[in-house]
Amino acid sequence: MMACQIRRDQEISHQIDSQHPATMSFLRPASSSSKAAFRNTTAIRHYAGKPDTSLGDPKRENLRRALYPSNIRNRPTPVGTWRPDVARALQRAIPSVQAHETIERAWLLHKRHVRKQREAELSRKFEKMREAMDELYKLDSQLYLQANRADDPRAKSAQEMEMAKKLKVSEVRTMDARIPGLFPRELKVPTDTPSRTGWNYDYKPFQRPL
Amino acid sequence: MLSRTLRAATARPFLVRGNASLSSAPPAAGTPAPPPPPASTTTTATTTTTATPPSAKAAKAPEEGDKAEGGRRKRKVWTPRKRPAISALAPREWNRPLAPGVVPAYDYALKYIQRDAAAVAAEAAELEKRVEEKEGEYQVLLKEGGEGVKEGLEKVDAELEGMREKLHVLRVQAEVNLPEVRWKVKNALAERGREAHRHLLEHRWRKDGDLDLLMERIYQMKVVPDLLPVLKPTVDLRVAVPATTPDQFRALAAQGRAGANVLTVEPGVFLDPKNTLSPPMLYADAFHADTRLYTLLMVDPDVPDPERAGYKTYLHWMCPNVELSAARAGRLTGLNGHTAYVPPHPQRGTPYHRYTVLLLPQPPVRGERYSRNLEARAVREGGVSSRRLDIPVVGEGERAGFDVRKFVEEWGLGVEGGAHMFREVWGAATSKVYEEVLKQPEPVFGRPRKEDRYADIRGRKKYVL
Repeated sequence: MMACQIRRDQEISHQIDSQHPATMSFLRPASSSSKAAFRNTTAIRHYAGKPDTSLGDPKRENLRRALYPSNIRNRPTPVGTWRPDVARALQRAIPSVQAHETIERAWLLHKRHVRKQREAELSRKFEKMREAMDELYKLDSQLYLQANRADDPRAKSAQEMEMAKKLKVSEVRTMDARIPGLFPRELKVPTDTPSRTGWNYDYKPFQRPL
Repeated sequence: MLSRTLRAATARPFLVRGNASLSSAPPAAGTPAPPPPPASTTTTATTTTTATPPSAKAAKAPEEGDKAEGGRRKRKVWTPRKRPAISALAPREWNRPLAPGVVPAYDYALKYIQRDAAAVAAEAAELEKRVEEKEGEYQVLLKEGGEGVKEGLEKVDAELEGMREKLHVLRVQAEVNLPEVRWKVKNALAERGREAHRHLLEHRWRKDGDLDLLMERIYQMKVVPDLLPVLKPTVDLRVAVPATTPDQFRALAAQGRAGANVLTVEPGVFLDPKNTLSPPMLYADAFHADTRLYTLLMVDPDVPDPERAGYKTYLHWMCPNVELSAARAGRLTGLNGHTAYVPPHPQRGTPYHRYTVLLLPQPPVRGERYSRNLEARAVREGGVSSRRLDIPVVGEGERAGFDVRKFVEEWGLGVEGGAHMFREVWGAATSKVYEEVLKQPEPVFGRPRKEDRYADIRGRKKYVL
C-alpha cells in the first residue's frame, strides 16, 4: 500500500521534498513553491485506492474499528477470552485432557486449603481482638478510648520533626510522601521491556523513621 | 467472501485433545489394566505414552488435509467424533492416562487429591456417626410425644438438618476430585447411589447447557408467564418420539445415528402431528435419593376460543402420583392410567401450538418443604416422602378450558420438577386425530370475513345524466 503511494507520488510529484533532488520536477505547480519547506500531509484520494488513514486525525479510524471489529479469527482476543495457541502448547506439555484437569483441580484444591486456613486464622485473631476490646470496655473506658483512637498516618513524630530540620525541602516532601504502612513506592508491576531511562545503579532507598 | 486465513482455519480441524486413554480389551476380573509404558527418553512426552484407540486420538494436524495428489488438496468432510462405546452394559475400568514419571505434576496432583479425599472421607464418617446418634435422640423424643417435648424436638430436628447438610457436602467433596469418579460419570458408569456421582450428574445437567437451553426456550416461547408464573426445574426431563418425516431421519443420520428411528426432542422445536399420535416417551432423571411423587401434565395453551376471541388451554394428558427417584432414573411407564392421552391436534389455520409437558412435585408428607431430614428418613424406612393425591379424572368436556394455575394452587404442587416443550402446526395427521380419537368434525380457523362496505352501491348507476 505504501509502495503504491510512493510510486504514484513520484509520478505526479505532489509530495514536495525540496531536499531531495529526485522529486524536483519542472511540472511542479507554482503554488506549492511557497510551501517548499513543509511536507504536504493532506490525504489525497486516488480513485483506485483508499486514502491513507494513518495520516491526520485517528478519531475516524478508531471509531470505525470500534463499530466494525474484525471477525477474522487469526489472533487472540484483546482481553484474553480466546487464545488459539493455548491448546497446542498445552498438548505438548500435558498430552492428556484428564491429566490436565486433575492437575488443575489439585492446584485449586491446594489454593482453597491455603485460603481457608488463612481466613480461619484471621477470623480467630479478629474474634480474640473483639473479645479483648469488650473486656477492656467493661474494665476501663478511658483506656478503651485510647485503644480505639485511629492515628493519622500523615502525622510526623518527634524524631521525624528533628530529621526534617536537617533535610532539604525536596527531601522533606519525599519523607512526607512515604506514609508508613502504605505499600512501598518501589513496588512496581514487572513489565515486558525495560524502562527507557535504564537501570538506576545509584538508587538509595529512603527509610522513614517510625 | 472468505479471506484466505478464515478458509485455512476452517479447513484445518481445530486442535482436539483426546480423552483419557483406555485399554481396548476389557481387563481380567480384579486386576486393573496396567498403565501405558513410559515414553522413550529420546522422544518427547507427546508422541507415545498410550495405546489410544483410534477414535480417541487427537487430530494430528500435520498429516491430515495435505494429501498432495497431483497438487489437489482433498478437503476433509467434518463428521461428529465417535465416543468410545463404554456404558453400564459394556463397562471398563479407569486407568491412569499417563504412566508414572511422564508428567511429575500429574503424579503429585493425584497423590494430593487422594490424600485429601481420604481425609475428607474420614471426617464424613465421623460426622455420620454423630448424625446417627442424634437421629436416635430424635426418634426417642418423637416416641415420647407430648407438648413439652415439641420444642425440644424442633430444636433437634433443626440441628440434624444442619448436620445432614454438612454431611452431604463432605460426602460430595470426598469423591468429586478423584479422576476415577469423574471419568466414570463422564462415561455413563455413574452409580446413582453415591452422592458425589449424583452431584456430578446434576452439575452436568445444570452447567453444561441442557437446562439453559430448556429455560431459554421456555422463556422465549412465553410458556412461563402463560401457563405458570415460575418454573425452576430440578428434574432432567427428556422427551423422545418416533421419527416420521424425511427431515427428521436426515437429522438422525447427521448425528451419526443413521439406523435409529427415535428422535430426542430438543425443547422448542417443531414436530409433525404424526410424531405424537402415540404418547411420547418420557425419560426423567431425578437427583434426590428418596422416592417422591410428581404429577404429569401435558397441556396446550394455544387452542383458539372464538367466543372470547382468544385462546384457551387444553389438557392432553394427566397422571398424578408418578414415582421418581435417583435410583429409578430412566423411562417412565404406566402413565396412561389416569386421564388418557389425547394426541396433539393443532387446528388448521391457527398459528403454532406450544405443547408443554410438566412434571410438578406433590407436597411432602410432613411439613411444607422437602428437607434432608425427610429424605434421609424416607430412605431409611423405605416408602415415599410425598403425599399421594386423589386427583379426579378430568372428563372429556373439561379438558378444554383447563386452568393450570388454579389446578396447581388447589393441589399444592410445587414450582420445581421437570418441564419440556415442543411446537406443532397442522398436518394431515390432525384430521386423523379428529376423525378417530376425538370423533368430532374438524374445525378450520381463519380470519373473520371482511365486511363489504360497498355491497349496496356496487350494482347501481353512479351518474345520472
